[in-house]
Amino acid sequence: MTRPVGVWGVGTSHFGRFPDQRVETLAWEAIGEAMTAAGVTADDIDAVFVGTVFGPPGVAIRVLRGTGIGGVPVVTIEAACASGTAAFHEAAQAVASGRYGTVLAFGVEHLSSLFTGAIVPEATDADGAAGLPLPGLYALGAQRYLAVHGATVEQLAQVAVKNKAHGVRNPRAHLGRASSSGAPSLDEVLASKMIAEPLTLLQCCPTTDGAAAAVLGRARAGDVRVLSSALVSGRPWDQRSDEIWGVAPVRRAADEAFSAAGVEAEDVDVLEVHDAFTIGEIVTLEALGLCKPGEGAELAVSGHTALGGRQPVNPSGGLLSRGHPLGATGLAQLAEIVWQLRGVAGDRQVPGARIGLVETLGGAASGMDGNAAVVALLSSDPSS
Amino acid sequence: MTAASAPISKRRAGEALGGLAVADPRPRIVDGRVAGWRCGACGHAVAQESPWCPNCSAGALTPASFGPGGTVWAGTVVHLPVGHWKPPFALASVDLDDGPRVLAHVTETRVLPVGSRVRLVGGTQESGASAGDGNDVFVEPEGSGS
Ligand SMILES: [Zn+2]
Repeated sequence: MTRPVGVWGVGTSHFGRFPDQRVETLAWEAIGEAMTAAGVTADDIDAVFVGTVFGPPGVAIRVLRGTGIGGVPVVTIEAACASGTAAFHEAAQAVASGRYGTVLAFGVEHLSSLFTGAIVPEATDADGAAGLPLPGLYALGAQRYLAVHGATVEQLAQVAVKNKAHGVRNPRAHLGRASSSGAPSLDEVLASKMIAEPLTLLQCCPTTDGAAAAVLGRARAGDVRVLSSALVSGRPWDQRSDEIWGVAPVRRAADEAFSAAGVEAEDVDVLEVHDAFTIGEIVTLEALGLCKPGEGAELAVSGHTALGGRQPVNPSGGLLSRGHPLGATGLAQLAEIVWQLRGVAGDRQVPGARIGLVETLGGAASGMDGNAAVVALLSSDPSS
Repeated sequence: MTAASAPISKRRAGEALGGLAVADPRPRIVDGRVAGWRCGACGHAVAQESPWCPNCSAGALTPASFGPGGTVWAGTVVHLPVGHWKPPFALASVDLDDGPRVLAHVTETRVLPVGSRVRLVGGTQESGASAGDGNDVFVEPEGSGS
Protein backbone atom coordinates (compact mmCIF):
# COMPACT_ATOMS: atom_id res chain seq x y z
CA MET A 1 0.00 0.00 0.00
CA THR A 2 1.25 3.44 -0.78
CA ARG A 3 0.55 4.94 2.63
CA PRO A 4 0.70 2.75 5.75
CA VAL A 5 -2.84 2.17 6.96
CA GLY A 6 -3.65 1.86 10.63
CA VAL A 7 -6.77 0.60 12.35
CA TRP A 8 -7.38 3.43 14.80
CA GLY A 9 -10.26 1.78 16.59
CA VAL A 10 -12.83 -1.01 16.35
CA GLY A 11 -16.14 -1.74 18.01
CA THR A 12 -19.05 -4.15 17.92
CA SER A 13 -22.52 -4.52 19.31
CA HIS A 14 -23.47 -7.62 21.23
CA PHE A 15 -24.59 -10.41 18.90
CA GLY A 16 -27.87 -12.26 19.23
CA ARG A 17 -31.58 -11.84 18.52
CA PHE A 18 -32.70 -8.40 19.58
CA PRO A 19 -36.38 -7.83 18.73
CA ASP A 20 -36.39 -4.55 20.68
CA GLN A 21 -33.51 -3.09 18.70
CA ARG A 22 -33.33 -1.62 15.23
CA VAL A 23 -30.39 -1.54 12.85
CA GLU A 24 -29.63 2.01 13.99
CA THR A 25 -29.26 1.18 17.67
CA LEU A 26 -27.05 -1.82 16.94
CA ALA A 27 -24.85 0.24 14.62
CA TRP A 28 -24.54 3.10 17.14
CA GLU A 29 -23.20 0.68 19.75
CA ALA A 30 -20.45 -0.47 17.35
CA ILE A 31 -19.65 2.96 15.88
CA GLY A 32 -19.49 4.57 19.31
CA GLU A 33 -17.01 2.04 20.58
CA ALA A 34 -14.86 2.32 17.43
CA MET A 35 -14.80 6.14 17.48
CA THR A 36 -13.98 6.25 21.17
CA ALA A 37 -11.17 3.73 20.72
CA ALA A 38 -9.87 5.75 17.76
CA GLY A 39 -10.10 9.04 19.65
CA VAL A 40 -12.08 10.75 16.89
CA THR A 41 -15.32 12.72 16.73
CA ALA A 42 -17.90 13.02 13.97
CA ASP A 43 -16.12 15.99 12.36
CA ASP A 44 -12.98 13.90 11.83
CA ILE A 45 -14.68 11.38 9.53
CA ASP A 46 -14.00 12.08 5.82
CA ALA A 47 -15.96 9.19 4.31
CA VAL A 48 -18.04 6.19 5.32
CA PHE A 49 -18.18 2.70 3.77
CA VAL A 50 -21.07 0.50 4.86
CA GLY A 51 -21.59 -3.24 4.44
CA THR A 52 -25.10 -4.64 4.58
CA VAL A 53 -27.07 -7.25 2.67
CA PHE A 54 -30.66 -6.83 3.82
CA GLY A 55 -30.43 -3.15 4.71
CA PRO A 56 -33.13 -1.90 4.67
CA PRO A 57 -32.50 0.51 1.78
CA GLY A 58 -31.27 3.78 3.25
CA VAL A 59 -29.93 2.16 6.40
CA ALA A 60 -26.52 3.84 6.12
CA ILE A 61 -27.82 7.38 6.27
CA ARG A 62 -30.44 6.47 8.86
CA VAL A 63 -27.66 5.20 11.11
CA LEU A 64 -25.56 8.33 10.54
CA ARG A 65 -28.47 10.63 11.47
CA GLY A 66 -27.86 10.02 15.14
CA THR A 67 -24.09 10.32 15.01
CA GLY A 68 -23.42 13.82 13.75
CA ILE A 69 -21.57 12.43 10.74
CA GLY A 70 -22.98 13.91 7.56
CA GLY A 71 -22.24 15.64 4.29
CA VAL A 72 -19.32 13.30 3.52
CA PRO A 73 -19.36 10.54 0.89
CA VAL A 74 -21.28 7.49 2.15
CA VAL A 75 -21.13 4.34 0.05
CA THR A 76 -23.06 1.16 0.81
CA ILE A 77 -21.60 -2.13 -0.41
CA GLU A 78 -23.40 -5.44 -0.86
CA ALA A 79 -21.10 -8.42 -1.26
CA ALA A 80 -23.21 -11.06 0.52
CA CYS A 81 -21.45 -12.42 3.63
CA ALA A 82 -18.33 -10.45 2.71
CA SER A 83 -20.13 -7.07 2.69
CA GLY A 84 -18.53 -5.81 5.89
CA THR A 85 -15.07 -7.00 4.88
CA ALA A 86 -15.54 -5.35 1.48
CA ALA A 87 -16.45 -2.08 3.26
CA PHE A 88 -13.27 -2.43 5.33
CA HIS A 89 -11.25 -3.16 2.18
CA GLU A 90 -12.55 -0.06 0.42
CA ALA A 91 -11.86 2.07 3.51
CA ALA A 92 -8.30 0.74 3.75
CA GLN A 93 -7.64 1.31 0.05
CA ALA A 94 -9.04 4.84 0.30
CA VAL A 95 -6.64 5.68 3.13
CA ALA A 96 -3.72 3.95 1.38
CA SER A 97 -4.25 5.91 -1.81
CA GLY A 98 -4.68 9.18 0.02
CA ARG A 99 -8.22 9.65 -1.24
CA TYR A 100 -9.52 10.13 2.30
CA GLY A 101 -7.78 10.79 5.60
CA THR A 102 -10.01 9.24 8.23
CA VAL A 103 -12.60 6.68 7.20
CA LEU A 104 -15.37 4.93 9.10
CA ALA A 105 -16.43 1.45 8.00
CA PHE A 106 -19.39 -0.26 9.55
CA GLY A 107 -21.62 -3.23 8.89
CA VAL A 108 -25.05 -3.97 10.27
CA GLU A 109 -27.83 -6.51 9.92
CA HIS A 110 -31.10 -7.23 11.71
CA LEU A 111 -31.93 -10.72 10.47
CA SER A 112 -34.31 -11.77 13.23
CA SER A 113 -36.94 -9.36 11.90
CA LEU A 114 -36.61 -10.82 8.38
CA PHE A 115 -36.30 -14.57 8.77
CA THR A 116 -37.88 -17.01 11.20
CA GLY A 117 -35.33 -19.68 10.28
CA ALA A 118 -32.69 -20.10 7.63
CA ILE A 119 -32.30 -17.37 5.02
CA VAL A 120 -34.88 -17.88 2.28
CA PRO A 121 -33.25 -18.63 -1.08
CA GLU A 122 -33.45 -15.95 -3.75
CA ALA A 123 -36.30 -16.66 -6.17
CA THR A 124 -34.52 -15.07 -9.15
CA ASP A 125 -31.56 -17.44 -8.75
CA ALA A 126 -31.67 -20.81 -10.55
CA ASP A 127 -30.55 -22.86 -7.55
CA GLY A 128 -32.55 -20.68 -5.18
CA ALA A 129 -35.71 -21.17 -7.20
CA ALA A 130 -35.05 -24.91 -7.20
CA GLY A 131 -35.14 -24.83 -3.40
CA LEU A 132 -31.46 -24.96 -2.42
CA PRO A 133 -30.95 -23.29 0.97
CA LEU A 134 -27.46 -22.09 1.96
CA PRO A 135 -26.85 -25.02 4.32
CA GLY A 136 -27.78 -27.27 1.38
CA LEU A 137 -25.10 -25.67 -0.78
CA TYR A 138 -22.46 -26.24 1.89
CA ALA A 139 -23.81 -29.75 2.48
CA LEU A 140 -23.24 -30.60 -1.18
CA GLY A 141 -19.67 -29.37 -0.79
CA ALA A 142 -19.23 -31.36 2.39
CA GLN A 143 -20.48 -34.56 0.74
CA ARG A 144 -18.08 -34.07 -2.13
CA TYR A 145 -15.21 -33.34 0.27
CA LEU A 146 -15.95 -36.43 2.37
CA ALA A 147 -16.07 -38.63 -0.73
CA VAL A 148 -12.96 -37.23 -2.40
CA HIS A 149 -10.71 -36.95 0.65
CA GLY A 150 -12.06 -39.76 2.81
CA ALA A 151 -12.74 -37.29 5.61
CA THR A 152 -15.26 -38.10 8.36
CA VAL A 153 -18.31 -36.41 9.82
CA GLU A 154 -16.47 -36.38 13.16
CA GLN A 155 -13.75 -34.22 11.60
CA LEU A 156 -16.39 -31.78 10.33
CA ALA A 157 -18.10 -31.65 13.71
CA GLN A 158 -14.85 -31.02 15.56
CA VAL A 159 -14.74 -27.55 13.95
CA ALA A 160 -18.00 -26.72 15.73
CA VAL A 161 -16.77 -28.18 19.02
CA LYS A 162 -13.68 -25.98 18.80
CA ASN A 163 -15.36 -22.75 17.77
CA LYS A 164 -18.19 -23.10 20.26
CA ALA A 165 -15.62 -23.70 23.01
CA HIS A 166 -13.94 -20.47 21.91
CA GLY A 167 -17.27 -18.66 21.88
CA VAL A 168 -17.92 -19.46 25.53
CA ARG A 169 -14.99 -17.14 26.26
CA ASN A 170 -16.54 -14.30 24.24
CA PRO A 171 -19.14 -12.34 26.24
CA ARG A 172 -20.55 -10.80 23.03
CA ALA A 173 -21.04 -14.09 21.15
CA HIS A 174 -24.62 -15.01 20.27
CA LEU A 175 -24.29 -18.61 21.39
CA GLY A 176 -21.45 -18.02 23.83
CA ARG A 177 -23.64 -16.35 26.43
CA ALA A 178 -26.35 -18.96 26.06
CA SER A 179 -23.94 -21.80 26.76
CA SER A 180 -24.15 -21.75 30.55
CA SER A 181 -23.35 -25.44 30.50
CA GLY A 182 -20.27 -24.80 28.36
CA ALA A 183 -19.56 -25.81 24.80
CA PRO A 184 -21.20 -28.87 23.22
CA SER A 185 -19.32 -32.15 22.97
CA LEU A 186 -18.57 -33.92 19.71
CA ASP A 187 -21.47 -36.29 20.36
CA GLU A 188 -23.81 -33.37 21.02
CA VAL A 189 -22.80 -31.65 17.78
CA LEU A 190 -23.35 -34.85 15.79
CA ALA A 191 -26.64 -35.63 17.56
CA SER A 192 -28.15 -32.17 17.04
CA LYS A 193 -30.98 -31.84 14.52
CA MET A 194 -29.99 -32.71 10.96
CA ILE A 195 -30.21 -29.62 8.72
CA ALA A 196 -28.69 -30.74 5.41
CA GLU A 197 -26.81 -34.03 5.40
CA PRO A 198 -24.10 -34.25 6.71
CA LEU A 199 -24.43 -30.86 8.46
CA THR A 200 -26.27 -30.83 11.80
CA LEU A 201 -27.74 -27.75 13.47
CA LEU A 202 -24.68 -27.11 15.64
CA GLN A 203 -22.55 -27.05 12.47
CA CYS A 204 -24.58 -24.14 11.06
CA CYS A 205 -24.26 -20.50 12.11
CA PRO A 206 -27.31 -19.00 13.82
CA THR A 207 -29.51 -16.20 12.44
CA THR A 208 -28.08 -13.22 14.25
CA ASP A 209 -28.53 -9.46 14.66
CA GLY A 210 -25.51 -7.24 15.16
CA ALA A 211 -23.16 -4.52 14.01
CA ALA A 212 -19.44 -3.86 13.89
CA ALA A 213 -17.30 -0.87 12.97
CA ALA A 214 -13.76 0.34 12.44
CA VAL A 215 -12.07 3.71 12.05
CA LEU A 216 -9.08 3.71 9.71
CA GLY A 217 -6.42 6.32 8.99
CA ARG A 218 -2.69 6.67 8.37
CA ALA A 219 -0.81 4.35 10.69
CA ARG A 220 0.30 6.03 13.92
CA ALA A 221 2.59 4.63 16.61
CA GLY A 222 0.88 1.74 18.36
CA ASP A 223 -1.81 1.22 15.72
CA VAL A 224 -2.56 -2.19 14.31
CA ARG A 225 -1.33 -2.05 10.68
CA VAL A 226 -3.18 -3.21 7.62
CA LEU A 227 -0.42 -5.09 5.78
CA SER A 228 -2.65 -5.86 2.79
CA SER A 229 -6.21 -6.53 1.78
CA ALA A 230 -7.58 -8.16 -1.34
CA LEU A 231 -11.14 -8.19 -2.67
CA VAL A 232 -12.12 -10.56 -5.48
CA SER A 233 -15.40 -11.55 -7.06
CA GLY A 234 -16.63 -14.90 -8.31
CA ARG A 235 -15.86 -16.73 -11.52
CA PRO A 236 -17.97 -19.41 -13.19
CA TRP A 237 -18.42 -22.59 -11.18
CA ASP A 238 -19.62 -25.31 -13.52
CA GLN A 239 -18.89 -28.75 -14.99
CA ARG A 240 -15.23 -27.78 -15.38
CA SER A 241 -14.82 -27.12 -11.65
CA ASP A 242 -13.15 -29.92 -9.71
CA GLU A 243 -13.15 -27.99 -6.45
CA ILE A 244 -16.19 -27.57 -4.28
CA TRP A 245 -18.02 -24.29 -4.32
CA GLY A 246 -16.42 -21.34 -2.56
CA VAL A 247 -12.77 -22.45 -2.45
CA ALA A 248 -11.34 -20.75 -5.53
CA PRO A 249 -12.27 -17.14 -4.66
CA VAL A 250 -10.64 -17.47 -1.24
CA ARG A 251 -7.45 -18.75 -2.88
CA ARG A 252 -7.47 -15.87 -5.37
CA ALA A 253 -7.83 -13.31 -2.58
CA ALA A 254 -5.30 -15.08 -0.35
CA ASP A 255 -2.65 -15.26 -3.07
CA GLU A 256 -3.01 -11.54 -3.67
CA ALA A 257 -3.06 -10.59 0.02
CA PHE A 258 -0.08 -12.76 1.05
CA SER A 259 1.95 -11.56 -1.91
CA ALA A 260 1.23 -7.90 -1.20
CA ALA A 261 2.05 -8.29 2.50
CA GLY A 262 5.23 -10.30 1.97
CA VAL A 263 3.97 -12.81 4.52
CA GLU A 264 3.57 -16.61 4.36
CA ALA A 265 0.63 -18.60 5.71
CA GLU A 266 2.87 -20.17 8.36
CA ASP A 267 3.72 -16.69 9.69
CA VAL A 268 0.12 -15.99 10.73
CA ASP A 269 -0.49 -16.19 14.48
CA VAL A 270 -4.29 -15.87 14.62
CA LEU A 271 -7.13 -16.05 12.08
CA GLU A 272 -10.80 -15.16 11.84
CA VAL A 273 -12.30 -17.03 8.89
CA HIS A 274 -15.72 -17.66 7.39
CA ASP A 275 -17.09 -20.69 9.24
CA ALA A 276 -20.77 -20.21 8.43
CA PHE A 277 -20.78 -24.02 8.23
CA THR A 278 -18.07 -26.37 9.55
CA ILE A 279 -16.97 -27.48 6.08
CA GLY A 280 -16.37 -23.81 5.26
CA GLU A 281 -13.58 -23.41 7.80
CA ILE A 282 -11.89 -26.60 6.62
CA VAL A 283 -11.71 -25.74 2.94
CA THR A 284 -10.94 -22.09 3.69
CA LEU A 285 -7.83 -23.03 5.64
CA GLU A 286 -6.74 -25.14 2.67
CA ALA A 287 -7.37 -22.24 0.30
CA LEU A 288 -5.40 -19.91 2.58
CA GLY A 289 -2.43 -22.30 2.34
CA LEU A 290 -2.30 -23.43 5.99
CA CYS A 291 -2.26 -26.99 4.69
CA LYS A 292 -2.68 -29.04 1.53
CA PRO A 293 -6.10 -29.90 0.04
CA GLY A 294 -7.63 -32.72 2.05
CA GLU A 295 -5.60 -31.95 5.18
CA GLY A 296 -7.83 -29.17 6.51
CA ALA A 297 -10.18 -31.64 8.15
CA GLU A 298 -7.48 -32.64 10.64
CA LEU A 299 -6.54 -29.11 11.81
CA ALA A 300 -9.28 -28.80 14.44
CA VAL A 301 -8.90 -32.43 15.52
CA SER A 302 -5.14 -32.06 16.08
CA GLY A 303 -5.61 -28.84 18.04
CA HIS A 304 -3.54 -26.82 15.54
CA THR A 305 -6.41 -24.31 15.15
CA ALA A 306 -7.68 -24.32 18.74
CA LEU A 307 -6.80 -21.71 21.35
CA GLY A 308 -3.49 -22.92 22.71
CA GLY A 309 -2.61 -24.44 19.34
CA ARG A 310 -0.03 -23.25 16.85
CA GLN A 311 -2.45 -21.14 14.72
CA PRO A 312 -5.75 -20.50 16.53
CA VAL A 313 -8.66 -20.00 14.12
CA ASN A 314 -11.80 -18.13 15.16
CA PRO A 315 -10.88 -17.37 18.77
CA SER A 316 -14.04 -15.19 18.89
CA GLY A 317 -16.15 -18.30 18.38
CA GLY A 318 -16.47 -17.55 14.68
CA LEU A 319 -19.73 -17.32 12.83
CA LEU A 320 -20.72 -20.62 14.45
CA SER A 321 -20.77 -19.04 17.89
CA ARG A 322 -20.60 -15.25 17.59
CA GLY A 323 -23.30 -15.50 14.93
CA HIS A 324 -23.52 -14.28 11.37
CA PRO A 325 -25.18 -10.90 10.90
CA LEU A 326 -24.08 -10.90 7.26
CA GLY A 327 -22.98 -7.31 6.67
CA ALA A 328 -21.54 -6.99 10.19
CA THR A 329 -19.55 -10.20 10.12
CA GLY A 330 -16.44 -9.02 8.29
CA LEU A 331 -15.96 -6.04 10.58
CA ALA A 332 -16.63 -8.22 13.64
CA GLN A 333 -13.86 -10.53 12.41
CA LEU A 334 -11.61 -7.50 11.95
CA ALA A 335 -12.43 -6.26 15.47
CA GLU A 336 -11.43 -9.61 16.95
CA ILE A 337 -8.11 -9.65 15.10
CA VAL A 338 -7.37 -6.05 16.13
CA TRP A 339 -8.08 -6.89 19.78
CA GLN A 340 -5.88 -9.96 19.49
CA LEU A 341 -3.00 -7.97 17.99
CA ARG A 342 -3.37 -5.34 20.69
CA GLY A 343 -3.29 -8.03 23.34
CA VAL A 344 -6.67 -7.05 24.82
CA ALA A 345 -8.73 -10.13 23.88
CA GLY A 346 -9.16 -11.23 27.47
CA ASP A 347 -9.83 -14.91 28.15
CA ARG A 348 -9.40 -15.79 24.50
CA GLN A 349 -6.12 -13.92 23.91
CA VAL A 350 -3.59 -15.68 21.69
CA PRO A 351 -0.34 -14.95 23.57
CA GLY A 352 2.07 -12.76 21.65
CA ALA A 353 0.01 -12.61 18.45
CA ARG A 354 1.78 -10.35 15.95
CA ILE A 355 0.24 -11.22 12.57
CA GLY A 356 -3.48 -11.79 12.03
CA LEU A 357 -5.68 -12.70 9.11
CA VAL A 358 -9.31 -11.96 8.27
CA GLU A 359 -11.15 -13.91 5.57
CA THR A 360 -14.77 -13.73 4.47
CA LEU A 361 -16.51 -15.46 1.57
CA GLY A 362 -19.84 -14.24 0.22
CA GLY A 363 -22.31 -16.38 -1.71
CA ALA A 364 -24.21 -17.81 -3.38
CA ALA A 365 -25.18 -16.81 -6.91
CA SER A 366 -25.66 -20.11 -8.72
CA GLY A 367 -23.15 -20.87 -11.45
CA MET A 368 -20.45 -18.74 -9.80
CA ASP A 369 -17.79 -19.96 -7.37
CA GLY A 370 -18.66 -17.19 -4.92
CA ASN A 371 -20.03 -13.67 -4.91
CA ALA A 372 -16.99 -12.11 -3.30
CA ALA A 373 -14.06 -12.97 -1.06
CA VAL A 374 -11.85 -10.72 1.03
CA VAL A 375 -8.58 -11.65 2.70
CA ALA A 376 -6.75 -9.08 4.84
CA LEU A 377 -3.47 -9.36 6.72
CA LEU A 378 -2.78 -7.21 9.75
CA SER A 379 0.07 -6.84 12.19
CA SER A 380 0.76 -5.22 15.50
CA ASP A 381 2.90 -2.07 15.23
CA PRO A 382 6.25 -3.44 13.99
CA SER A 383 8.13 -0.79 16.01
CA SER A 384 6.49 -1.60 19.33
CA MET B 1 -50.64 -20.68 -5.45
CA THR B 2 -49.00 -22.92 -2.90
CA ALA B 3 -49.72 -22.15 0.72
CA ALA B 4 -46.74 -20.51 2.36
CA SER B 5 -45.93 -22.55 5.43
CA ALA B 6 -42.28 -21.70 4.95
CA PRO B 7 -40.33 -18.88 6.58
CA ILE B 8 -41.47 -15.48 5.39
CA SER B 9 -39.06 -13.14 3.65
CA LYS B 10 -39.51 -9.45 3.12
CA ARG B 11 -37.42 -9.88 0.02
CA ARG B 12 -38.67 -10.83 -3.42
CA ALA B 13 -39.82 -14.21 -2.31
CA GLY B 14 -41.32 -15.64 -5.49
CA GLU B 15 -44.72 -17.18 -5.97
CA ALA B 16 -43.81 -20.41 -4.18
CA LEU B 17 -43.41 -18.45 -0.93
CA GLY B 18 -46.57 -16.42 -1.31
CA GLY B 19 -44.88 -13.47 -2.98
CA LEU B 20 -45.26 -12.09 -6.47
CA ALA B 21 -44.19 -14.19 -9.42
CA VAL B 22 -40.71 -13.78 -10.89
CA ALA B 23 -39.48 -14.95 -14.29
CA ASP B 24 -38.44 -18.56 -13.74
CA PRO B 25 -34.64 -19.03 -13.83
CA ARG B 26 -34.67 -22.84 -13.43
CA PRO B 27 -33.38 -25.19 -16.12
CA ARG B 28 -36.15 -27.10 -17.90
CA ILE B 29 -36.71 -30.47 -19.44
CA VAL B 30 -37.86 -30.17 -23.07
CA ASP B 31 -38.62 -33.31 -25.08
CA GLY B 32 -36.90 -35.48 -22.51
CA ARG B 33 -33.61 -33.58 -22.36
CA VAL B 34 -32.27 -30.64 -20.36
CA ALA B 35 -32.58 -27.47 -22.39
CA GLY B 36 -29.56 -25.13 -22.38
CA TRP B 37 -27.09 -23.50 -24.70
CA ARG B 38 -23.76 -24.28 -26.37
CA CYS B 39 -21.11 -21.84 -27.60
CA GLY B 40 -20.57 -21.92 -31.37
CA ALA B 41 -16.90 -20.92 -30.93
CA CYS B 42 -15.52 -22.90 -27.98
CA GLY B 43 -18.23 -25.51 -27.47
CA HIS B 44 -18.81 -24.62 -23.81
CA ALA B 45 -22.16 -25.88 -22.49
CA VAL B 46 -24.21 -23.62 -20.25
CA ALA B 47 -27.34 -24.35 -18.27
CA GLN B 48 -28.29 -20.79 -17.35
CA GLU B 49 -29.36 -18.03 -19.72
CA SER B 50 -26.35 -15.87 -20.59
CA PRO B 51 -25.87 -12.91 -22.97
CA TRP B 52 -22.94 -14.58 -24.78
CA CYS B 53 -20.48 -17.36 -24.01
CA PRO B 54 -19.22 -16.82 -20.46
CA ASN B 55 -16.19 -19.00 -21.21
CA CYS B 56 -14.66 -17.34 -24.28
CA SER B 57 -16.88 -14.22 -24.27
CA ALA B 58 -16.60 -14.27 -28.06
CA GLY B 59 -18.96 -16.95 -29.23
CA ALA B 60 -22.70 -16.73 -29.62
CA LEU B 61 -24.81 -19.23 -27.73
CA THR B 62 -27.26 -21.40 -29.58
CA PRO B 63 -29.93 -23.55 -27.95
CA ALA B 64 -28.80 -27.08 -27.20
CA SER B 65 -30.11 -30.03 -25.23
CA PHE B 66 -28.17 -32.22 -22.83
CA GLY B 67 -28.41 -35.56 -21.08
CA PRO B 68 -30.68 -36.85 -19.81
CA GLY B 69 -27.87 -39.07 -18.46
CA GLY B 70 -25.35 -37.70 -16.03
CA THR B 71 -23.05 -38.30 -13.07
CA VAL B 72 -23.66 -37.08 -9.53
CA TRP B 73 -21.19 -34.37 -8.45
CA ALA B 74 -22.67 -34.41 -4.94
CA GLY B 75 -25.99 -35.05 -3.24
CA THR B 76 -27.65 -34.10 0.04
CA VAL B 77 -30.92 -34.43 1.91
CA VAL B 78 -32.35 -31.17 3.21
CA HIS B 79 -34.25 -31.25 6.50
CA LEU B 80 -35.58 -27.68 6.38
CA PRO B 81 -38.75 -26.46 4.71
CA VAL B 82 -37.84 -24.43 1.63
CA GLY B 83 -40.70 -22.79 -0.24
CA HIS B 84 -43.32 -25.45 -0.94
CA TRP B 85 -40.79 -28.23 -0.39
CA LYS B 86 -41.51 -30.04 2.85
CA PRO B 87 -38.57 -31.75 4.56
CA PRO B 88 -36.93 -34.07 4.12
CA PHE B 89 -36.17 -33.79 0.41
CA ALA B 90 -33.07 -34.69 -1.57
CA LEU B 91 -31.09 -32.55 -4.00
CA ALA B 92 -28.19 -33.42 -6.23
CA SER B 93 -25.75 -31.53 -8.37
CA VAL B 94 -25.31 -33.47 -11.60
CA ASP B 95 -22.79 -33.21 -14.43
CA LEU B 96 -24.79 -34.01 -17.55
CA ASP B 97 -23.04 -36.14 -20.17
CA ASP B 98 -21.16 -33.68 -22.40
CA GLY B 99 -23.24 -30.96 -20.79
CA PRO B 100 -23.48 -28.50 -17.92
CA ARG B 101 -23.71 -29.07 -14.18
CA VAL B 102 -27.26 -28.64 -12.92
CA LEU B 103 -28.98 -28.84 -9.55
CA ALA B 104 -32.14 -30.93 -9.32
CA HIS B 105 -34.50 -32.65 -6.91
CA VAL B 106 -34.05 -36.37 -6.34
CA THR B 107 -37.03 -38.67 -6.64
CA GLU B 108 -35.77 -40.77 -3.70
CA THR B 109 -35.07 -39.27 -0.29
CA ARG B 110 -31.46 -40.30 0.13
CA VAL B 111 -27.98 -38.90 -0.40
CA LEU B 112 -26.96 -39.98 -3.89
CA PRO B 113 -23.34 -41.15 -3.86
CA VAL B 114 -20.72 -39.01 -5.57
CA GLY B 115 -20.05 -40.44 -9.03
CA SER B 116 -23.26 -42.45 -9.30
CA ARG B 117 -25.14 -42.55 -12.59
CA VAL B 118 -28.50 -40.79 -12.90
CA ARG B 119 -31.05 -39.61 -15.42
CA LEU B 120 -32.80 -36.23 -15.41
CA VAL B 121 -36.53 -36.07 -15.96
CA GLY B 122 -39.25 -33.44 -15.96
CA GLY B 123 -42.94 -33.55 -15.18
CA THR B 124 -44.58 -33.40 -11.78
CA GLN B 125 -42.51 -35.89 -9.82
CA GLU B 126 -42.31 -36.14 -6.08
CA SER B 127 -39.31 -35.12 -4.01
CA GLY B 128 -39.77 -36.13 -0.40
CA ALA B 129 -43.30 -35.32 0.70
CA SER B 130 -43.81 -32.62 -1.94
CA ALA B 131 -44.43 -32.57 -5.65
CA GLY B 132 -42.84 -30.17 -8.09
CA ASP B 133 -44.82 -27.40 -9.74
CA GLY B 134 -44.32 -28.93 -13.19
CA ASN B 135 -41.28 -26.80 -13.97
CA ASP B 136 -38.74 -28.58 -11.79
CA VAL B 137 -35.97 -30.86 -12.95
CA PHE B 138 -35.68 -34.21 -11.18
CA VAL B 139 -32.92 -36.73 -10.76
CA GLU B 140 -33.74 -40.41 -11.09
CA PRO B 141 -31.07 -42.79 -9.81
CA GLU B 142 -30.11 -45.29 -12.52
CA GLY B 143 -32.04 -48.51 -12.20
CA SER B 144 -34.95 -46.93 -10.32
CA GLY B 145 -38.47 -46.10 -11.48
CA SER B 146 -39.32 -46.90 -15.08
ZN1 LIG C 1 -17.30 -19.89 -25.98
